[in-house]
Amino acid sequence: MDSPMSGRASIRLTINGTAMELGCPPERILLDLLREDLNLTGTKRGCDLGTCGCCTVLLDGRPVLSCLTLARLAIGHDVTTIEGVTPATGLSPLQKAFVEHGATQCGFCTPGFIMTGTALLRDHPDASREEIERAISGNLCRCTGYLKIVEAIQAVGKETP
Amino acid sequence: MHLDPFELHRPTSVEETVALAGRLAPKFDYLAGGTDLLPNYKMRLNTRPNLIALEDVSELRGVSLDRVGAMTRLADLEAHGGFRSAYPGVLEAVVEVATPLVRASGTLGGNLLVETRCFFFNQSFPWRESLGFCLKADGDRCHVVPQKEKCYATFSGDLAPSLSVLDAEVEVAGPDGRRRVPVTTMYDAAGDGIQRHHLKPGELLVAVHFPPAARTLRATYRKLRVRPSFDFPELGVAAAARLTADGTIDHLALSVGGTETFPKRFDELTGPLVGSRPTLPRVRELAAEVQKRVRPVHNTFLAADYRKKMTGVFVRRAVGQVLGIGEGRP
Amino acid sequence: MAAPEAPPTYRLIGTRIPYIEGPLKVTGRAEYTDDIKRPGQLIARLLRSPWPHARIRSIDVSAARAMPGVAAVLTGEKYPTPFGVLPITHDETAIAVGKVRYIGDIVAAVAAVDEATADRALQAIRVDVEVLPEYTDPKTGVEKVAEPIHARGLNGTNIQKEVVQHFGDVDAAFAQAHASVRVRGSYAGVTHAFTEPMATIAEATPDGRLTVWSATQVPHYLHRALSEVLGIPMHRIRVIKPEVGGGFGGKSDPLPHEIACAALSLETGRPVKILFDREDVFVTNHGRHPTQNDVRIAVDAGGKILAYDIEALIDGGAWSSFGTVTTYYNGVLSMGPYRVPNFRYRGRRVYTTKPPSGAMRAHGGTNIRYSIELGLDELAEQLHLDPFDLRERNALPPHSTTVNQFRITSTSFVKCLKAARERSGWDDKFRKLPYGRGVGLGCGFYISGSNSPIHFTPKMPQCTVHLKADMDGGIAVHCMQADIGQGSNTLLAVIVAEVVGVDLDRVHVVRVDSDVSPVDIGSYSSRVTFMMGNAARRAGESLRDQLLAAAARVTGYPPEKLVVGHEKIEVRHRPDISISYIDALHAAMERSGALLASGAYTSPPMGGDFKGARAGTAPAYSFAAYVAEVDVDVETGIYKVEKVWAAFDCGRALNRLAVEGQIEGSIHMGLGQLMGETMNYRGSRLMNPSLLEYKIPTPQQMPQVECLLVGDDDPEGPFGGKEAGEGPLIATLPAAGNALYDAVGVRFHELPITPEKVVRGIELRQQSGKSWKGVS
Ligand SMILES: Cc1cc2nc3c(=O)[nH]c(=O)nc-3n(C[C@H](O)[C@H](O)[C@H](O)COP(=O)(O)OP(=O)(O)OC[C@H]3O[C@@H](n4cnc5c(N)ncnc54)[C@H](O)[C@@H]3O)c2cc1C
Ligand code: SF4
Ligand code: FES
Ligand code: FES
Repeated sequence: MDSPMSGRASIRLTINGTAMELGCPPERILLDLLREDLNLTGTKRGCDLGTCGCCTVLLDGRPVLSCLTLARLAIGHDVTTIEGVTPATGLSPLQKAFVEHGATQCGFCTPGFIMTGTALLRDHPDASREEIERAISGNLCRCTGYLKIVEAIQAVGKETP
Repeated sequence: MHLDPFELHRPTSVEETVALAGRLAPKFDYLAGGTDLLPNYKMRLNTRPNLIALEDVSELRGVSLDRVGAMTRLADLEAHGGFRSAYPGVLEAVVEVATPLVRASGTLGGNLLVETRCFFFNQSFPWRESLGFCLKADGDRCHVVPQKEKCYATFSGDLAPSLSVLDAEVEVAGPDGRRRVPVTTMYDAAGDGIQRHHLKPGELLVAVHFPPAARTLRATYRKLRVRPSFDFPELGVAAAARLTADGTIDHLALSVGGTETFPKRFDELTGPLVGSRPTLPRVRELAAEVQKRVRPVHNTFLAADYRKKMTGVFVRRAVGQVLGIGEGRP
Repeated sequence: MAAPEAPPTYRLIGTRIPYIEGPLKVTGRAEYTDDIKRPGQLIARLLRSPWPHARIRSIDVSAARAMPGVAAVLTGEKYPTPFGVLPITHDETAIAVGKVRYIGDIVAAVAAVDEATADRALQAIRVDVEVLPEYTDPKTGVEKVAEPIHARGLNGTNIQKEVVQHFGDVDAAFAQAHASVRVRGSYAGVTHAFTEPMATIAEATPDGRLTVWSATQVPHYLHRALSEVLGIPMHRIRVIKPEVGGGFGGKSDPLPHEIACAALSLETGRPVKILFDREDVFVTNHGRHPTQNDVRIAVDAGGKILAYDIEALIDGGAWSSFGTVTTYYNGVLSMGPYRVPNFRYRGRRVYTTKPPSGAMRAHGGTNIRYSIELGLDELAEQLHLDPFDLRERNALPPHSTTVNQFRITSTSFVKCLKAARERSGWDDKFRKLPYGRGVGLGCGFYISGSNSPIHFTPKMPQCTVHLKADMDGGIAVHCMQADIGQGSNTLLAVIVAEVVGVDLDRVHVVRVDSDVSPVDIGSYSSRVTFMMGNAARRAGESLRDQLLAAAARVTGYPPEKLVVGHEKIEVRHRPDISISYIDALHAAMERSGALLASGAYTSPPMGGDFKGARAGTAPAYSFAAYVAEVDVDVETGIYKVEKVWAAFDCGRALNRLAVEGQIEGSIHMGLGQLMGETMNYRGSRLMNPSLLEYKIPTPQQMPQVECLLVGDDDPEGPFGGKEAGEGPLIATLPAAGNALYDAVGVRFHELPITPEKVVRGIELRQQSGKSWKGVS
């Protein structure tokens, strides 16, 4: 059916497991919805153009760039942000490994890497060094040189039975 | 960076989509994964007041060895074991597109119709305004080859060459019904660089179809870019071949992207090799001739003369590989 | 001879300590400037100049001002006071006054209810200008020009700074030389490209105060600049530094948008936020200067360096920024790691109508080092010496003085050479690997903290640390040092915990806030570990002494007999007699309540007595020797640095995990400059203001890295430590550059070395008839 969706008509989607109904114009970008409307500021804005990966979130479990996703295309889908993969207490194994291996320095890229890494470990816990490098090659880090990030992801993969 | 307001339409069938497109033309764009369109919209490049999202059109999905829906995400293609083993040459191109995060949303259809690129075009509104707009958006001249008729922006999709050499066809739906167009001839070699293909206004890519022969070809794709991730092709060479049992060339196709406004096949050069035995000198000759014929302009990161020179190297390596007489690095 | 005393060992110092704020960063809970939202906040956007150089005739903002949702539109005249990071070169204004000087210069600033409205308002501003000539090539700027970019250019030229130095007798040295080499290096500009775009929030409040949150690596200089330009005394301005997503020098100048943002808040009485998009970040730049240098090196028959003769022409862009320092550094940072008895330098930094260059990681030390190290490699070849042997022969000895009066204290440079040579298997690889594969050696030298604080009252310490220990047993640490990801918060906590003998989680490093943090002059010149480390150590000792005094009262032992143990104070050599930390603290608090302690650091006097003598002086220096191994596809010119053996002397590595992180990150950034990063200008126009076209290396391009931390304790560094934040970048480039020579027989004197240049270089070599490793 042809139904133009303009104005601030409300949309329904699930964010970090909570079903929500929100006002959202068609041109609203998911990253803006998360950061500006919902104050989920763990997801970072590094470039707004798909070139850094800082804004990575999971859409139905797939890591995607929230800066290149229309919020309305997430209607009816599950969005998971860094806030959603963080346990109520403590850290996830990958988050812990990032801290312990020194895989975070300034930390601005880190939520994006955690999202990509979480999805990778879920699907391929036994990923090789090369596979990890490839999997994170849409996330930019200017501080670490990536080596400790790869190390951290690999360390968690090895622990996963 | 915000987007200017537009209306978002979400049809669910191909018929509904093309009807809608007919009504809205030319004031609309199709939106697939958005990974090409939305950055361009953020930079105010040829924005339109309506977006027709293809997300819910289920007929545009689905992967089989004969047909891949236009809305298939590149990541899903990558993960599809059957497709991967049937068309390793296409897979080589798929995994070279952008980054894994872009491929998670980017689609096959979007990739075939990805906007051509140019240093003077892929810039913000104020950047372009400060230089003076160009033919391709808001202006009336070209900054690369100064004249007023033609745009030289570079065709930068990775998949078209790799599909072209398999003689894959695109299924198109439009106001006048459906038709099939070979990927190879979909692009307009004689055009002005702005209208870059032979699709009619409002026509929709439904799927890519693979002829049975495609699975009998040995194919490869080689991409030149500065970094092994992120970067668009500065050159992309696809080749496909089949040898007869006695080792003569039965079929050979070559397509080069990343150098001009459309991906280019070189049947007039590969055709004469059919029926002969593959030899290195012939492959080298072919490579040298292709190199001579491509005409990149300097509107991307790497210099045009280097991209031209590399065309020879890449063609030689790619053709050498599919003919089983590989030389040089993989 | 007495056996050398074994260096002391510590409980925390020298181990691998994860960042204390790591858990906040990995969960997205660390708060960066753009994560802060103030009630009623407006959004500011900037109108940037589309002209490289123009005189502003008039600006009509009336239509913009009248637009609904627009709260304020500011142009330059309101706050015309010039500022700049160096007190001697105040040539910037918050918003352009009279002239614009590059494409991207700020012409007007708008505050509106949202970004879209602000952007529309920008479109409505009409600017009338007289277009002036653009100056893109620093070579033309050294002559008298029709319209100097700044009135302060030397004698009607665009020269911002000229440095001429001569020590010893260079001409005589060259006349005696057995061999010499000349390298003409050409280096494109590169930029920091931190992942967090600049962001600032300013909030003027009815009590007459102004609070500014900003992504800055030098809160103190921002504090000063805000005060000077806005005319508000410093004590009524509060600067807060939230978490900062990388700086690398790019957030060290006080930047115009920070001041413009504050001005808009004063104008509207509302909080105002400004967030940069990527293009804003690129045109703000302040990155490494595009540089051309001409380096001649003379040696004797044994390979001993006799003289350097160096010229540098530095493209400054539109403003001075750190440029005066840059001009000195491009010469004087060549004064190590080798002894150079004769030295002549002429450096000129020239204004151009391009985005300003400034300080970027290993500021001033990178490009000159590349030329020298490639030159030394060539000399070694001429003399049939191994590159390692040549370097070792010339190593500056510990506790020596350079010809330009740098005081060298600790150096483990020779140890670095030995470690890199041995671990890399150099002797089996150099000139022995097949064509296309090669190894190269490059060395490095960098300041561990600039001895001369800029923009600062010289008689005050460069860093002060305050501690407060209260009844909860926690120790709050206050200091204006700026952690931008390098781990200085963690080091601060570790040092305090080490000295006071407590667990790390007792120590809270309080967010930088000028209302409570005592001044430290920020994160630049690799000064933080050394200066803050010493101040923290002293503060810790002062707190410890108060605890020891209290423990003495409780135990009856005199304080000299007491030492801190882990969470306790015990009698020396009698660990069975002790009092817990908490009991000692509470006993100490009986008289005064919460304990306060302070420690400060001032670098000792040093440097010669001549103009510019202080440039490059530092309380210590870092040293490096790197070997890189590369693999080149000789037909396409595409190459990969496969491995780097990074022998680095940062004195004692205080936090090994952090030091490794700095080395690995530095190698990544250095390889970026080597392989493809470039500020690509056509004329004055930046062609690639995006992370897509600015080629930061991806994970697949990273080499393996072996960190060899061989430094001995520095006598003045905190616990023997020196810098590791910038020096580790420098050696990366020449190591890889020399490895490329070993691989394909071409010396690349132009950066970046893109594949096209590799192909071209090989062709030229072939045309000259020179074969390499048996391949023509
Ligand atoms: C950082 C970055 C790097 C990139 N690198 C590469 C690269 O290396 N190689 C490369 O090929 N691409 C690259 N891209 C471009 C893009 O991501 C891919 O080409 C992607 O496959 C496009 O698919 P999409 O679904 O996102 O297209 P969209 O952005 O949704 O659409 C692209 C165009 O195709 C049209 N369109 C889409 N689907 C249809 C359809 N079914 N029928 C008719 N018209 C349609 C749209 O109207 C639009 O004009 C890159 C993008 C980014 C952001
Ligand atoms: S080639 Fe010319 S017309 Fe086409 S985008 Fe580039 S500048 Fe514009
Ligand atoms: S912010 Fe989305 S990729 Fe950079
Ligand atoms: S930790 Fe700073 S960008 Fe990755």
